[in-house]
Amino acid sequence: MSVEEIAGYLPTIEDEEIEYKTLSFTGNKETIDLKVPILTNEQMIKVTEKVKRASKNKLKSKTVSEIVAIIDQTIEQLLDRNNSYRQKAEALLPIITGYDKELVRLGLTSYLKTFRKQQLQRFLVEDFGNPIVLDDFQPRGKKGFSKAVGPDLTTHVWAGNVPGLPLWSLISSLLVKSGSIGKVSSSEPLFASLFARVLVEVEPSLADCLAVVWWKGGDMEREKKLFHLADVVVGYGSNSSLDSVRSRIPITTRFLSFGHKLSFGILSKASLDSRKAWKTAHDAAFDVIRYDQQGCYSPHVFYVQQGGKVSPKEFAYYLAHELECFEKKYPRRELTIEEASSLAEWRQREEFSSYTDMEKEIVGEEASAWTVVYENMSTELTPSNLYRTIKVVGFEQFDEVISVASFYRSYLQTVGIAATPSKLYQIANLLGDIGVTRITGLGSMTSPEAGWHHDGRLNLLDLVQMVDIEDSAENYAESLAPYLD
Amino acid sequence: MTQKEIVKSVLDFIESNDWSEEAFNHQALHLFAYQYKHNMAFQTYCKKKGKTLRTVKTWREIPALPIKGFKELTLSCEDPSQAEAVFMTSGTTSGVKGKHYHPTPEVYNQSMIINFKERFMKGQEKIRMGILFPTEKEMPNSSLAHYLHLAKENFGTADSRYFVDENGLQIEELIKELKEVQQSGKPYALLGATFSFVHLFEALHERQESFQLPEGSKLFDTGGFKNQSKELELNDFYDQLSTYLGVDRSKCINMYGMTELSTQFYDSGNAIVPSIKSGPHWIRTRVVNPLTGGDVADGERGVLVHCDLANFNSVTTILTEDVGVIKDDGFLLLGRVQGTEAKGCSIAVDELIKATKG
Repeated sequence: MSVEEIAGYLPTIEDEEIEYKTLSFTGNKETIDLKVPILTNEQMIKVTEKVKRASKNKLKSKTVSEIVAIIDQTIEQLLDRNNSYRQKAEALLPIITGYDKELVRLGLTSYLKTFRKQQLQRFLVEDFGNPIVLDDFQPRGKKGFSKAVGPDLTTHVWAGNVPGLPLWSLISSLLVKSGSIGKVSSSEPLFASLFARVLVEVEPSLADCLAVVWWKGGDMEREKKLFHLADVVVGYGSNSSLDSVRSRIPITTRFLSFGHKLSFGILSKASLDSRKAWKTAHDAAFDVIRYDQQGCYSPHVFYVQQGGKVSPKEFAYYLAHELECFEKKYPRRELTIEEASSLAEWRQREEFSSYTDMEKEIVGEEASAWTVVYENMSTELTPSNLYRTIKVVGFEQFDEVISVASFYRSYLQTVGIAATPSKLYQIANLLGDIGVTRITGLGSMTSPEAGWHHDGRLNLLDLVQMVDIEDSAENYAESLAPYLD
Repeated sequence: MTQKEIVKSVLDFIESNDWSEEAFNHQALHLFAYQYKHNMAFQTYCKKKGKTLRTVKTWREIPALPIKGFKELTLSCEDPSQAEAVFMTSGTTSGVKGKHYHPTPEVYNQSMIINFKERFMKGQEKIRMGILFPTEKEMPNSSLAHYLHLAKENFGTADSRYFVDENGLQIEELIKELKEVQQSGKPYALLGATFSFVHLFEALHERQESFQLPEGSKLFDTGGFKNQSKELELNDFYDQLSTYLGVDRSKCINMYGMTELSTQFYDSGNAIVPSIKSGPHWIRTRVVNPLTGGDVADGERGVLVHCDLANFNSVTTILTEDVGVIKDDGFLLLGRVQGTEAKGCSIAVDELIKATKG
């Protein structure tokens, strides 16, 4: 039996018949039909105007700490497993994305936790120092005053099926008092909609400050119009789809793009003595199974240093063992025939090359839900096929890893590290130089901390515009003051 | 077993017209033993899969070699440098071409001729042919060029000819011929790659012209739209084929062949698409889950595996990248497995390779 559910969120627009498009999903042996709103161009303009107005009148009249409180309450609702929206998310996201239920539940909690009040405050301080700068002009050290003004309208183009991803940009926009129109991805259209509904229940006055809709990607006319009306566009997706989005954005609209990324792990020999190696393998495996490596922060390769008690090749088997254990508890999502075929192809290519490369080893049966490939260091960083396929590459000196990874500068994001403190900082310096923007402990690659610099950017600062009152204005005003003698 | 003997046994089997499972099995295992012994890359592959002469008991158990293997490995029982014909894949995506070695073209030719006679000629001896594909001379490593050469030599009347040269489709000459054929009232066959027909449609559309080819005429397309910029829905394609050339869709035959095979599949017209494809008694098809290699449940989509007993020198059994589903009298071809779009925000292998290699 299939369930039907309406996704999306719209502000109140009078006398309008809304058309819905049905997107069907089958995952974990259940089916769901999600209906997402598709607006006509006229309706889209109406919604845009409404959101812009509400952003001016409602959001901008709240203080940043009031907004933080509203988001905090919203998140609290979504963290409460008795809350009906939370229950809906837990029930439906596994069907939509195909990820294991328990993994979705744990993922949601650990993700939502990063948006609690304290974390949001940190996030704000991180970018603004003094967050009140969002409410009012604040004095500056060099004399004069400044205020951070958020956009009236941010348009978000979300992508991918990692649940919850839209929350980053949506919450960021709220924090800087910007109205939002978000286009959900057709592979996970639900979660942003649920968040919007809870938010409005918590604070009904924000009802018109955001909209969550869908249209077919590449709808040029619509995108052109909408991007023209937005102050900022935030886009996620592959470089080619971002390129095409960018071509429709006028120069007067700011475009923040988040392309697909490449992440990996570095395991020093210090993490490979006979006692620590198991924990290392466990943590590494966890980074692999989380969302089946679909995140930009998910590892493609683990570089493992020679010279430890456990050799890199042995480590490949440790990792395989941990992946097998995780598979029992949190099975990989079921693959479509296309996904299975591309995975099989990747595996075959690896197998064929193992006929001539005697060092290469492929661990895992064809039918298993994971594959570990061990190989020696080469001049290329060959990505894995995701869906729990991972490469383990042995190396001797950290420089070898740096020199290979440096070819992929514009794609690098997260590096998970298991190393001694002194090595950590030494490697971190080198990694920063070649374009890596986030360094985490092994096992934490897939859970960015609140206030992280996503792809190296100041995510809130990128949204706002600073308004300066220069010292001269202050002096001039003084000269015209009624209290002047 | 020498190559001569194996070639003879294959030719005998093709001649036999024996459709029984038993005969197919017997011949398949016979070839498996020969290839396991003489094709070293294949032997390595079998051993890695834990399959040996003793454990493989039916044709279904012969390890299916992924077609990628034709690119990465040398698959031949004979010294490949001695092969009389080497057919290559187009190599458009990776630049590396798959190679299929034919020590003697005898088997390929016999397989093609008998099958083509049955499925396209349907008993007719000769027909005037127009061929929308380069000649064998222009594309010496194209199995399709060789195939069409065989068709023309064996079944084309003396006035049959090609309409493609180094500048592409000779549209003026083709239109002239079609006009003449229309007047003559004699049956005509136009054979070519699917995309050649699309070029023809475009030219005819521009000139606002169309033809009504004489009764008994037929059309033949193959290859589909892979790697072509313009793609038509199958239904639209056959509609246009029928409208522009005046041949009923039931007389439009599509051939499904691969460089990695020595035998082709045909449908019986394209009144309804997708049409059911089937082959002669010396080729059989399974539909498998690509990860496990096991057969999918009846009626489910999977990836096609073909066991072609005319593939005597390389491997009989290949794992394709085509999706299909088994039907009573053949299979439906549902298209190629496309590289899947990345679902998340992690970069996909293909995207990265494209990005870094330009």
